[in-house]
Order: sequence, then structure tokens, then C-alpha cells
Amino acid sequence: MSATAETLEGRESRVRRLRTAAVPYLLLVPAIVALAGVSLYPTIDGIQASLHKYRYALDVGYTGADNFVAIYNDAVFWTAMARTVQFTVCTVAIETLLGLLLALVVARELRFAGLIRVTLILPMTIAPVVVGVIWRLLYASDIGVVNPLFELFGFDAPNVLAHPLTAFLGLVAVDVWEWTPLLFLIILAGLQSLPQDPIEAARVDGASALQVFFHHTLPLLRPVLLVAVVLRTIDAVGTFDQIYVLTKGGPGTATQLISIYAYNTAFLFNQYGRAMAMLISLLACLLLLMAVAVHLMRRSSEIAE
Amino acid sequence: MSDKTKDSRKVFKRPLRRREFIKGGIAASALVAGSAIFAPRIVRGAGGSITIGSFQDNAMAPFRDYFVKKFADETGIAATYNETNYDSWYQTCKNDGLNKTGAYDIYVMDDNWVPEFAAGHVVQSLDKLGFKVNADILPKGLEMGLWPPKSGARMKDFASATPELYSIVIIDDVEILYYNADYFPTAPETWDDIFKVAQTTKAPNLYGWSPRGVKGNPIVQTYLPLMNAYGANFVNADWSPGFAGPEGVAALSRLFSFIPYMPDGVVEYDTDQEVQVMLEGKCTALTEYTGFCQRVDDPASSKVVGKIKMAATPKQVKHGPAIGTFIASVSTGSKNPEGAVQFLEWFTSSKVQLEFAQKYGGAAVTGSALSDADAVSKHRWLPAIADAVNNSVQKPRTPDEPKMEDILGTHLNMALVEAIAAKANYDAIAQKHLQAAAGEITDYLKQQGGYF
Repeated sequence: MSATAETLEGRESRVRRLRTAAVPYLLLVPAIVALAGVSLYPTIDGIQASLHKYRYALDVGYTGADNFVAIYNDAVFWTAMARTVQFTVCTVAIETLLGLLLALVVARELRFAGLIRVTLILPMTIAPVVVGVIWRLLYASDIGVVNPLFELFGFDAPNVLAHPLTAFLGLVAVDVWEWTPLLFLIILAGLQSLPQDPIEAARVDGASALQVFFHHTLPLLRPVLLVAVVLRTIDAVGTFDQIYVLTKGGPGTATQLISIYAYNTAFLFNQYGRAMAMLISLLACLLLLMAVAVHLMRRSSEIAE
Repeated sequence: MSDKTKDSRKVFKRPLRRREFIKGGIAASALVAGSAIFAPRIVRGAGGSITIGSFQDNAMAPFRDYFVKKFADETGIAATYNETNYDSWYQTCKNDGLNKTGAYDIYVMDDNWVPEFAAGHVVQSLDKLGFKVNADILPKGLEMGLWPPKSGARMKDFASATPELYSIVIIDDVEILYYNADYFPTAPETWDDIFKVAQTTKAPNLYGWSPRGVKGNPIVQTYLPLMNAYGANFVNADWSPGFAGPEGVAALSRLFSFIPYMPDGVVEYDTDQEVQVMLEGKCTALTEYTGFCQRVDDPASSKVVGKIKMAATPKQVKHGPAIGTFIASVSTGSKNPEGAVQFLEWFTSSKVQLEFAQKYGGAAVTGSALSDADAVSKHRWLPAIADAVNNSVQKPRTPDEPKMEDILGTHLNMALVEAIAAKANYDAIAQKHLQAAAGEITDYLKQQGGYF
């Protein structure tokens, strides 16, 4: 074989290797482009919008931190922030406890466990807007079933959506109904993947069911619980559909979460910059929360090791 | 196993070739694109084409289903009509106009979009396009399309500008009084007349009043006819809120005085619940926009067919129905502004408006249509619409009106919750919340600039 032929063959082989090595990256390109399009670009655009003022549908220029100062001085914004925290804490806490309880029950090999599992996850499969409409009909003071149910047991009709406190609790109940299944599924998967040796050893040593749960199951389950809580928290903070359908944030501002207030600010009051400032502030809070959660997860796995 | 099954197995086992994959992808994309849920209604003609966009509303049905086609048939201009939900349409037409995309020639709009769309050049001046206004159009309806407004408070940037017509009213939607003739032998003249009858009602079999109580726009729509009737203003000529004085407080106290005669859950009532009480024959009177006219005599939904009468909303010191017209503009990027103007002139002509009133009982924009004997004999609400439009009071004409309405509507809703719980001290509750709303609106307007 001549030197030229060898050189050519070597070059071809290099090109082939390069092609093979490039394939995984090329396959990633569509996903990266899509992600940049739907996630990165809106974020950058949102940050930019938060630094601009809009008037008569037009961007009238850079305003520095004015929008952030305006929301800092806006009492309604802080009320909405407080409602968001209250709503998130209530829903995530209840959903985690209920999810854990249901998972513990279903994890035991019961008859009809499959049927129970399917029944439990049904609410999660319904679109949030539809959930809102269903519960609107249930809560309605004129044609709903909640009022007659209370009256049947001798209580006054609560008119759930007509009072600030009951409206808030009513929304929490809707969220718990819809999203407890998610926590249940995650925790159930975690429970089923736990190592059984330490648990069985504890049982052999005479530990009660409660002792086994608190000293073995729960600590082993902690990383799974943390992931579930973080995921659900992020989701709960952004709750919009059900509230928009059920109360539009009322009565007064009793159920006005930051998602509703920011939506109204952007699309009803035409204040894009201010709405973006709100959402970026919220994003910053969420990132902080996630950083704490990741830190806790790392520490938890270090302790486990 | 049949040969056919074997063949199909072969097909599924065979690796997918790149060309086949691309072909399939293109075919699937074409299929998805072609089967859009809201396929546009296209009416072909010979003299160019126009595209009309709108938000979904039952009141638009005759426009969409009959008049667009009729225009194409009469003029030879092809007309495409697209509609989507209110929020999406607002964003779509705003983006279309700002970017001069030209996807639409005509935007059907809510009248409170006019200040923003005219000032932001999302839509074109109809005056500059040579639009010929039909002199038969009711003046109060026509005024809704002017920017800056002909009367009332004006933003500083437009203080000395001459009003131009940017939008033309196409449906004169306005609040009117609906009352059950079983309880009112003649139309109640004042809010006191309605209250007198309300006092004779016994809940839950019969209510004296059914309002919309949901925060924001719904409860503001309930309050406005009272506020205007008692002589208060949403804003004064200098943009100071005009509802927190004695007149506004008296109007809200009057609303609260109906609490014993209202359904229990009115705080969460929007249009559907509010009108349902009347359709069931359980309510003596309410105020609502003209869309409800079409439902009162429908035996499928009404137990009071023929019993509900209509009039302008009651007065106290004056009548004061709120007006909320359907209005149309030519987009800044329109590819056929001449065709668009021709359509709007055609639709607002006396002849077409008469047909709109006669055939559909629609809230026509011309005086002749609303008073036509034949139309009125078929649709008894038409004179009430004319009367209400002539006495109507517009909301503040500014792009910040939705925020102002939200602030007022949130406080009205909170006041209603408090008044229902307290069942007393209505004046004090009204004053507290109206003053709070006035303060918040003033702060907001100062922050926005261009008002004081």
C-alpha cells in the first residue's frame, strides 16, 4: 500500500471517529434548541422586561429597578406573597402526610391493592382547569352539593367561596384532592425500594411497628420525601388554574396568590415590567428554596453513607 | 396467521428509513396544521379579501354566522372570520397590531381596549382612513370609539389633542334593568321603587335583588348603575376618584340594603348565577347587559317566559347605566384597509343594523333600528337598549382603567362580605372601603404618571 493510500485511509478513519463522537451531541441539539426556546429565552426576555416600563402597549424604555421598587412598595404584592406561602405550606404539609399515610397502607400487600392505587391516582390525571370547574359546581351556593351536605347534618350552609377563610380552605382542599396522589406515588415507590434488612432486623429484635417506622422507615425514606416535597412546593407556588376558575383570587384578596396577581398585572393591567419583576422575585425565592433543599439532600445522603 | 398479518409484522420490524421518517413527519405536521380546532370560516369573493378577528361571545353569533357571509355575497370581498377566547384574542390582536403583522384587517374589541390600542397605534384612525360615520348611530355608543375621549377626564399626554375615531361601535351592549312584571306593573323608576318591592319578598322562594358579587369587574358592574344614579363619578375631571363622597357611599349603602333580600352566596355570584335566580322566577329585578335578553324567553332555560320586562336602569338623581360596547377597528398592519373600512361602513349602515335588530333582536347601534316598529314588536327590549345607551355613563377612558376597576372591585367585594356578616352599619362599611379604594387608585395613578 502506498503512503498516499495510507494517509487517505487514516484521514477517513479519523473522520469516521469524529462523526461517531459527534453523534450524541448532534442528537442533543434539538432538545437544547427546544429548551432554549421555551425556557431560556423567556427567562432572559422576562428579566429584560422587568427593567423596562410599558405604556400604551409600548415599551417606553429602560427604568432600572423601578419595577422592583414599585412591587416592594405594593401592599397587594406582599399580601399575595403571604397567601402564596400560606397556601404552599398548608397544601404541601397535608399532601405529604396524607400521601405518606396512603402509601404505608397500600404498600402492605392488601387485596385490591391495584384497584386502590388506580383509584387514588385518578384526580391527578384530570386537567387542573377541569378540576376547578368540578369543584366550582360542588361548592356553588345555589346548585352545589356542599351546602346541602352541611345542612343534612344540622350545620349552617358554609357558602364556601363566599367567605375569605372558607374560600382559602376550600382551595386548599381542592389542591389536596388533586395532588396528594403525586406524593402518594413518589412515596410508595420510595417505600417499595427501601432495603428490608434493617427493618426486618428491627422487627426480629422486638421493635414495635411505630418504632420501626420512626427509627428505620422514616429516616431511610427522608431523601425521597425531600424530593417529593421540593417538587410539590415548586408546583404549589405556581398554582393558577383552579384559583382562576374558582375564585379569581377573591373574596377580597383572600385567595390571590402571586401567580394570579402577576397574571392580572401583565394581562389585565398591561404592566408587563411589573409582572415580570414579581415573577423574577418569586423565581429568586424558589431558587433559594431549592438550594436549601439540595443542601439538605446532600447532607442527608452523607449521613446515610 | 394470515399473510396480511405477516406482511404487517414485516412492516413494523423493518427499520424506519430516514426519508420515510421525514415524509411521515411532514405528513403528520400537515395533518395537525390542517385540523386546527377552530378552523376559520372563509367566505370567498371576487374583490379582495379581509380577515376579521374576534373574541368568543354569544352576541357575536349573528355577525359570525350571517353578516360576514352576507357582506361577501353583496360586495364580492372575501371575508375570513376567526375567533378565540377573550384573553387570547386581546394578546393576539395587540401583538398583531404592534408588529404590523397584518394577519387581521379588523379587530373586534372590548371598548376598554380603545385607549391603549389607539394611543399605542395598534389600530388606525378611522377618520384618517376616510371612514364615513352613519349619522343614525347613537352618539353615546359612537363616543366609545373616540381617542382621546370627547368628554370626561383626559390624560395629560392627550389633553389638547382633537378626538379621532379609532373604533366604531358594532353592538351597543349596555346595562339595562330586567324586572318581573308579576311584581312591577310598570317599570320601576327609582332604586327606591325596587327596594319597596324587595321588602315584600321572602327568601329563599323570592328575592328582591340578584347582583354579581365576585371581586373585580363583576361587582363593579353591579355598583356602577347605582353609583351613577346617585350622582357620584368613577373619577372626576381631574382624575380624583369621585365615588368616596356622600353620593357614592349612599349608592353602596343602597346596594347593601338589599342584602336581606338577596341570595345567600352573592359574594361568589357572577353572571350565570345572578341571572339563574331570575330565570327560575325567584327574583323580582336585576341589572345586566343586553346579552341576557336572548335568554329570558327561551323555554328551555326560563320559567318566566314573557314575564320579564326591560327598562333603562333606575335613577335616583339621574339614570346611569354602564356601557360596554363591542367595537371594531382596522389594524395598523391591515393589508386591505379599504376593504376593512367598507365592511365596517356596511355593517353599521342603517339597513344592516335594521336587519340585525329585526332578525336577531341584537343590540343595534342605530336609533332607527332600535325604534323600528316591526323589530320592537318581535323584540321588546330594543327601546330599553336605546334608552339605556342614551343615558349611559362611560368608565374612565385610560389604559389604566382595568387596574382602577380591580382596586374598586376588590374593595367592593370586601365591603359586601363585611356587610353581609354585620347586617348593619352599612354607611360606615361603605365609607371605609370606598375611601380605601379611592386612596389606592390615587396612589396608583400618581405612580403611573400622566394624570395629575
